Amino acid sequence: MTTHGSQPPGGGEPEQNLEYRIAHLQDRLASGELGELGVRVEARGRTVLLTGTVPSAPCRDEIVRTVQEELAGVPVHSDLVVTETSSPDHAEELA
Amino acid sequence: MIRIAAVGDIHMGPDSQGLLRPAFETLPECADLLLLAGDLTRHGTPEEARVVAREVRDLGVPVVAVLGNHDHHDDRPDEVTAILRDAGAHVLEGQGTVVTSGGARIGVAGTKGFGGGFVGRCAGEFGEPVMKEFVRYSRRCADSLRASLEQLGEEGCDARIALTHFSPVPDTLAGEPLEIYPFLGSYLLAEAIDTAGADLAVHGHAHAGTEHGMTNGGVRVRNVAQPVIGRAFHVYHLPVHDHVTTGAAAQAAR
Repeated sequence: MTTHGSQPPGGGEPEQNLEYRIAHLQDRLASGELGELGVRVEARGRTVLLTGTVPSAPCRDEIVRTVQEELAGVPVHSDLVVTETSSPDHAEELA
Repeated sequence: MIRIAAVGDIHMGPDSQGLLRPAFETLPECADLLLLAGDLTRHGTPEEARVVAREVRDLGVPVVAVLGNHDHHDDRPDEVTAILRDAGAHVLEGQGTVVTSGGARIGVAGTKGFGGGFVGRCAGEFGEPVMKEFVRYSRRCADSLRASLEQLGEEGCDARIALTHFSPVPDTLAGEPLEIYPFLGSYLLAEAIDTAGADLAVHGHAHAGTEHGMTNGGVRVRNVAQPVIGRAFHVYHLPVHDHVTTGAAAQAAR
């Protein structure tokens, strides 16, 4: 294998590697103010997609803000939904 | 018929005060008790626990809860438990409780449970101390669940429910990445449920999972994580037989 210039072998600077940035973001979401483990963060080409259900609208806004801050420069698409709090309209019969 | 309302993973914080209360106030019309399957808070702080307490106080139906991993994050599970108990909830960890409704005695055995994985794809009690303790902790949770269910069987409940946060079966994890199943539940819980016998098992924890599952022994399992059920709670109607039970211990108790 031949390497060129000062570029380290293995695909570039770690801080530029989207996969590691996503991993660090998920650590931050879990251990920080939000305590959020239920959001899926996935790379889609050069963009990032957020999916999952979160407990409140302020939570959703804070998650999106944190993601945009942590992944500055990466377009972020959010499909996060806020959990539904209505009563059920039927019961399940466990006969 | 026993009407069981259940929800888990409500993850309440100061910004969610009052969100569930309007739905919870309809419970006396549609349910005999409310089960809370853990992760009631985001970080397990007393402040968050007080939000939950206000949400479930004086609902008009008994409230039976277990804590989840989020409720342990601040290392104050005893304080969280005390706050919820002050609001009238039965908070279980390795214990059972019996609530009565319309003459029916409903036994609920509860533990948070823990991970480890499922048969053929699970952690073993081997190697480093932290690994052994991981599995032993999960086993202790399961053992306490079995003992509580057996005790409820001896007390002649009309129905017995296993309430956990972690899942006893992989069925209800469908939708989660396979790679994280060992962090979402343990077959040890299902083995305990099948050994002692139960009429229903209810859990949370797996937000991207599915609602319906069953243990190898034929006990129905429901994942009631709020993102899964998409409601404030779900209601299950359980027919009442004479001391409805399955399992070896239940047979012995007859």
